Amino acid sequence: MTERDFHISAPAEVSTGNLSLHVKNQGPDSHEFIIVRVNGKLPLRADGLTVNEEALQSDNVGTLEPGEPGTVRDLRLHLTPGTYQFFCNMAGHYMAGMHGSLVVQ
Amino acid sequence: MIVAIFITISLFSAVSLTIFIGVTARSKNQAAIIEVSARQRTLAERYVKEVLLVRAGEPADPARTASVLARSARALLNGGVAPPMWGDDDATELKPATGSELRAQFAQEGRLVTDLTATGAGVVSGFTSNTLANSAHEHIIGATPLDQLQILGALTSNVSLNATRTLGADSDRNISHLVTLQVVLGIVGLLISLLLAGALIAITRRQTAHFRSLVTASTDLVLVFGAGECRYVSKSVATTLGRPADEMLGQGLIRFVHPDDQALVEAAWQQSESAGEIVFRMSTKFKEWRHLEACVTDLRKDRYVRGVVLNARDITERVQLEEELTHQAFHDSLTGLANRALFRDRLNQSLARSARSSEPLSVLLFDLDGFKLVNDTFGHDAGDEVLRQVGQLFVEVTRPSDTLARLGGDEFAILLEGADSTQAVAVADRLLEKLSEPVKILDRNFALSTSIGLVIHPGGPGEGEVIIRHADVALYAAKDAGRNCHRVFEADMARELRDVLGFEQDLRLGLGRGEFSVHYQPEVDLTTHATVGVEALLRWYSPTRGEVPPAQFIPFAEASSLIHLLGEFVLGEACRQTAEWRRQRILPDPFVMWVNISGKQLSDGGVSKLVQKALLAADLPPSFLGLEVTETAIVNQGVVSERASAELQELHDRGVRIAIDDFGTGFSSIGHLRRFPVDLIKVDRSFVQGVGHNPKDTAITTSLTNLAHALGLRAIAEGIESAEQLVSVQELGCDLAQGYLFARPVSADAMSKVLADDSAHAEPAAVPA
Repeated sequence: MTERDFHISAPAEVSTGNLSLHVKNQGPDSHEFIIVRVNGKLPLRADGLTVNEEALQSDNVGTLEPGEPGTVRDLRLHLTPGTYQFFCNMAGHYMAGMHGSLVVQ
Repeated sequence: MIVAIFITISLFSAVSLTIFIGVTARSKNQAAIIEVSARQRTLAERYVKEVLLVRAGEPADPARTASVLARSARALLNGGVAPPMWGDDDATELKPATGSELRAQFAQEGRLVTDLTATGAGVVSGFTSNTLANSAHEHIIGATPLDQLQILGALTSNVSLNATRTLGADSDRNISHLVTLQVVLGIVGLLISLLLAGALIAITRRQTAHFRSLVTASTDLVLVFGAGECRYVSKSVATTLGRPADEMLGQGLIRFVHPDDQALVEAAWQQSESAGEIVFRMSTKFKEWRHLEACVTDLRKDRYVRGVVLNARDITERVQLEEELTHQAFHDSLTGLANRALFRDRLNQSLARSARSSEPLSVLLFDLDGFKLVNDTFGHDAGDEVLRQVGQLFVEVTRPSDTLARLGGDEFAILLEGADSTQAVAVADRLLEKLSEPVKILDRNFALSTSIGLVIHPGGPGEGEVIIRHADVALYAAKDAGRNCHRVFEADMARELRDVLGFEQDLRLGLGRGEFSVHYQPEVDLTTHATVGVEALLRWYSPTRGEVPPAQFIPFAEASSLIHLLGEFVLGEACRQTAEWRRQRILPDPFVMWVNISGKQLSDGGVSKLVQKALLAADLPPSFLGLEVTETAIVNQGVVSERASAELQELHDRGVRIAIDDFGTGFSSIGHLRRFPVDLIKVDRSFVQGVGHNPKDTAITTSLTNLAHALGLRAIAEGIESAEQLVSVQELGCDLAQGYLFARPVSADAMSKVLADDSAHAEPAAVPA
């Protein structure tokens, strides 16, 4: 998966089971990577700029802290079939387009 | 090496400092960037607020903020001046951003600022569409322009924060690298410095050991003095003196210096300037004095020495050799007594003292009577031993203050300082007494005696040469008085001596001027009346003295060694003349030229060489030559001279005839005659003259003639002056005769005529009338 300002490129579908995500930040900003099993609109905090992660705590399946531009981070997941959404939750990044969805079959 | 260490430390310090300065300068720039970048966050947030205030009708100036934001964003990316934020700070000079990450972030910031300010301007102007410029690739969908403004504000603020973090991380890395680099540089510099220092220490140690070895192994003696005491002595000092070094350090050393040299050594190490070279003595463990020659060097100003250094050499052997050579130069090696040079020196010194004090002094000059006989008979080793022993005997006679010297040969002298005639005569008597006992050498007893000449100098000025000459005169007088006695010099003796010296001088001059000639007297065969030889006789006609008979001048010649020159002259002339007669074919056959050889010539040696040289020069066969030697010349005090005998034997073997002259006058032993190469015996004229009327002379002449015949020799009667004598000696059996009856000695020319006449008539020459 590739992160850049302000977009995350990822496959739309993957198979169920263990999944190893290679998240590459192509910058120029630092970016987070958070994946939640939510099918639908994500709730925002009161600032209107970031996703309310606290409300999605139970749906969170994986998080990568902010990574410097040029770095590649791995995230190992065990995904059951369903729809997942991923995003960067740094201030304004979600709203600027850094999000996507993944269907696990 | 010290320079290398200094350069290394300096180089590493310079590199470290340069890096530090570079990093510091860079950090300063980064701090400015961080400051401006952080301010961008504040500006972005302020811009959003100002837009909202304007939209709410409140006073604000977002455009101004937008301008600062945009200019600052450009400055951050490309360098330049970031404008000041009003009422806050000053403009900030920035360098272009370095590093791809940082530049990407600032470029993104610039784009976001563009989008933000465009959106803000739209909001202020009442623009409501949500289609915005998305130069920063943002995709904000479904939001109101106000929401978009706030999102862009957050994005701008965020990217500025990220840039600040990137810079911070970069600074951290730089600082970390700097620290690492400084540590590495420090360690490498330290290691290199330590290596160089180690090498320096090793070299210094090696050099120190090298010089220590040089000093300790050197045969030179090194002593260092400082603060009034000896601080260092090299190993060689201890070795040379056989004393431990500890004993000589401090004040101890001076105890071993010779008392006479202590002041010299102390002055050497105490004076402020170099003393050059000194020579002093130090005692060894075995109480021997060693002579040390030291070069004194003042190194008190040298901070590594702080003392006076003595570099000394042991010159004891050299000093001893010099003393020995000096002793040899002034002493006789055979007897150990003073030699002539030292005696002269002592005499002159003594005379100088006498001139001041008027003290008397005496000189005794003496030699050994008959010493030559010892040398000739028993060889020079025995002679040397005699000289050694009598030298010791003479020492016993003298006082330590007297100077006893061997002047040469068997000649001795004694200088008696302060001695008057009584004391000098007493010493002379003791000398004679000492030699009255036989001296035993090589198991033989030698009866020696001495003749002594004394000179009494009464005191006052005097000349050494004159005194010695006077002593010589007195010695001559003692010999003349019969030897084994002493004579004190008197003025009359000098006059006599002057006569003697005058005679000698005339002889010498006469020889040079050709005043000498050779005359010839025939010898006649009493059977055939033929001339069978001539006797060569030396004649001297002095222009001042007239005709001088040989009996007068021969003794002077023998006394002064002129006899050798005269002998050589006669021999050479006789041989030359005979060879000439031979060439003229006027010589009868047989013919012998008889030449007299003096006793002194024989005893001094060299007759054989002289004769052979003369024969060779004249080209004369040896059988034409005969040598007449006196009985006393070959037989002295009952002993035949071995050397003379050997020389005559050698000549006889070559064909030279030998005759004994004056036979019957020398009381010789017949035994000696048998061992001697003799062809002819000449019966002395003193017997021949009495033949016929004196029964004793007749009996002696008869006996001598018979003795000659018994030994297989021929006999010749000398001095035949009358026909009566001729008849008598013929009757007695003499083989040959010589005398005025036949012919007087005549010159070579006259003799040539006689020989030529005889040869022409082939008749016996000089037949009595």
